[in-house]
Amino acid sequence: MDWNLLFSSYSNVFLDPQVLLMTLLGAVGGVLLGAIPGMTATMGVALLIPFSFGMDLIPSIGLLLGIYCGGMYGGSISAILIHAPGTPSAAATLLDGYPMAQKGEAGRALSVAMFSSFCGGVIGALIMTFLSPLVAKVAMKFTSAEMLMLAVFGLSVIISISGKSISKGLISAFFGMLLCTIGLDPTYSKQRFTFGVTSLKGGLSFIPVLIGLFAIAEVIAGVERIIAGHESAYAKSNEKITRVLPDGKTIGQIWPNIFSGGIIGTFIGAIPGAGGDIAVFVSYAFNKGVSKHPEKWGTGIPNGVAATESANNGCSGGAMIPLLSLGVPGDSVTAILLGAFIMKGIQPGPMMYVSELPTVYKVFAALMLANLAMLLVGCAGVRIFAKIVSLEKRMLYPIILVVSLLGAFAINKNVYDVGVCVFFGVIGWLMNKYEFPLSPILLALILGPMCEQNFVRFMDLNQGNFGAILNYPIAVGFFVVAVGVVIFSIFNQKKIERREKANKAAAAE
Amino acid sequence: MKKLLAILLAVVMVVCLSATAFADYPDKGINVICPWGAGGGTDNCLRAFCAALEKQLGVTLTVDNLTGAGGVIGHEAIADAEPDGYTFGMITWELPSYLPQDMSEYTYESYIPLCRVNTDASAITVNTKWAADNGVTDLASFIAYCKDHPGEVTMGGSSSGSVWHVGGGYLMNAAGIDIKMITYSDGAASAAKAAAQGEITGVTISAAEARSFVEAGDLTMLGIMSAERNSVFPDVPTCQEEGYDLIWGTWRGLALPLGTDEEVVKVLSDACAAAIEDPDFVEFMKNAGQTISYLNAEEYTEFLAQETENVPAAMVAVGLIEE
Repeated sequence: MDWNLLFSSYSNVFLDPQVLLMTLLGAVGGVLLGAIPGMTATMGVALLIPFSFGMDLIPSIGLLLGIYCGGMYGGSISAILIHAPGTPSAAATLLDGYPMAQKGEAGRALSVAMFSSFCGGVIGALIMTFLSPLVAKVAMKFTSAEMLMLAVFGLSVIISISGKSISKGLISAFFGMLLCTIGLDPTYSKQRFTFGVTSLKGGLSFIPVLIGLFAIAEVIAGVERIIAGHESAYAKSNEKITRVLPDGKTIGQIWPNIFSGGIIGTFIGAIPGAGGDIAVFVSYAFNKGVSKHPEKWGTGIPNGVAATESANNGCSGGAMIPLLSLGVPGDSVTAILLGAFIMKGIQPGPMMYVSELPTVYKVFAALMLANLAMLLVGCAGVRIFAKIVSLEKRMLYPIILVVSLLGAFAINKNVYDVGVCVFFGVIGWLMNKYEFPLSPILLALILGPMCEQNFVRFMDLNQGNFGAILNYPIAVGFFVVAVGVVIFSIFNQKKIERREKANKAAAAE
Repeated sequence: MKKLLAILLAVVMVVCLSATAFADYPDKGINVICPWGAGGGTDNCLRAFCAALEKQLGVTLTVDNLTGAGGVIGHEAIADAEPDGYTFGMITWELPSYLPQDMSEYTYESYIPLCRVNTDASAITVNTKWAADNGVTDLASFIAYCKDHPGEVTMGGSSSGSVWHVGGGYLMNAAGIDIKMITYSDGAASAAKAAAQGEITGVTISAAEARSFVEAGDLTMLGIMSAERNSVFPDVPTCQEEGYDLIWGTWRGLALPLGTDEEVVKVLSDACAAAIEDPDFVEFMKNAGQTISYLNAEEYTEFLAQETENVPAAMVAVGLIEE
């Protein structure tokens, strides 16, 4: 570690007004884009790349990283406020974030999300600064066998996010797995379940399904509640927001979740092909598993928000590691960043640490700066964002509906996706009604393709001999952990049920 | 009275519109369809070329990413657009692969080809350690090895049905060898990583996409499947130089919907011919590692006819379609 170079790079970046301005602009844009369902950080980065051509490398990277980090936090805003994850990485945030907002703690949930995002981002940036070469070496050990078992491990957390019934959770998960098979198969491009519909050939678009299952379903349920008279059309939240950062007591309560979330996020983000959307669920399940009160998770506690938001922002640091040190992007945003580097005449890859070390250090600094910018924008925005839920329900629901449908359209500019969104809105509403949890579908949609592709590739490379997996110790390790997680979460579930019964009995007395 | 006035006004407007329709084309913004996502190779190339075209045409060109169904949606949208010259788009290598896969009815004959803008050649790149262990030093020894060990060599090529994946089939047909193509849906960078890890023998992706691992010494580039050497790797020979007539790669070009007025086609082709030499565009493409390889409308049409034969034949070889 070259400390002199590190300090000079940091001071170079932090004292350059152009870099500061661009990063801040990026963060503002990122938070806004992230907050709108259907608009993702990936989109923002892609659209702004042409504008960054005229700039020097570091200001333009600052701009793009600002969007990246801002977008990761921004996604949680709509997840907390309107039950619509703005980005796939915010999908687990609504598990506890939305119940918090329903309890009248929207502002608190937002500030916990922001603070955790910032801390997670800083953890990611620090790991990236000091451990990049080491982490990259581990990432290079991941072949198809390890990726397959990583996906299996990811699926093992389904029980922890299943809510009350394990069997209903599994039904949801298998339904999600089935949905993954629609479209061209990833290996031989054969059509599956397309019924001759052109739009189905590319499979279901993830974001419209996501928006439908969560946001649209919630609107339908809300309207149903109003019609049935369970909720007033004029109801609104009257939360007074007294502070933009969480208080000391809350921080004391959530710091272990933030810390572990940040580390889980960074390492999962560092594996090419696995990103924030997986990390958040793993972090949520891990933190719920080790919690002393697993029964409280999912009812609206700040720990749940902290565990997921620190994980998705940790990912941004993690994903930068294979990008810079291998030239292999960790997720869709870094794939676009790769193009931005190449256009500036810099080829990320193993040689970058040899020939472009000052640039590498400046990128570390820019990522740190982007996290600070995100915190600043978040602080300024908490009061404004939280105003959304102070709207009366009769205004709020139509707005959510319109924004959601627009978002579903915007992702591919395809009317068919709007249909997909509405269809899954109805499915989501029905599933909620009969107490089927929705998150397992999502996890299956994320991990299904990863499982299938790596499984088929592994079998292809090993002449159909699955036993060859025993030659991959890391893969076997993941499998053993996955089995352990399943057994542990079944026990944990029993414990939760016992406690809930005890609580009910206590309440009855 | 009001109704009459409205009808009169409408008639006047229609007359005015039709009279000026093609006389001073273009007199308003043009919509350009990109069948692939924002920020990808096609999108980058198209946006840069549109910026150069704007200087020639004097109107705003707006790139519209209509994605989905493996590019079919955008490709069909271009052919189905109103043929008034205010909507055209970029067609890419995937177009000739749609019909044989039953993905779309459209072929190059569903468009008026305008010009080819860019091509990126496939490169044969193998794991350095594997090459050293098996005595592979150049393209000839690689092909000889493949002939001695049929079906043993595994090559990676991005996602299924992609240009690099099908390129493996072309290599098999043209060089008379039997190799196993492995797909990487995450894209070419993942395939390059897998080759560097030794999970597969090598890759058939573009030179630019294999660059970082080649520079680090993990991968060795044996030959480039284009007529000319790559500007980034001037030391790597073309396959033709090595005695194998292999030309394969992706291409991108502009096309209009059938029925577009000849005047309009002329205006646009002239603009394209000038825009391709725009210094900003040339600089951009050089930095992005994309090769400019212009063909005018006539040459491009011929080229498309040939691709319509080559692509399905290569797809048979990798098992994507039946013979």
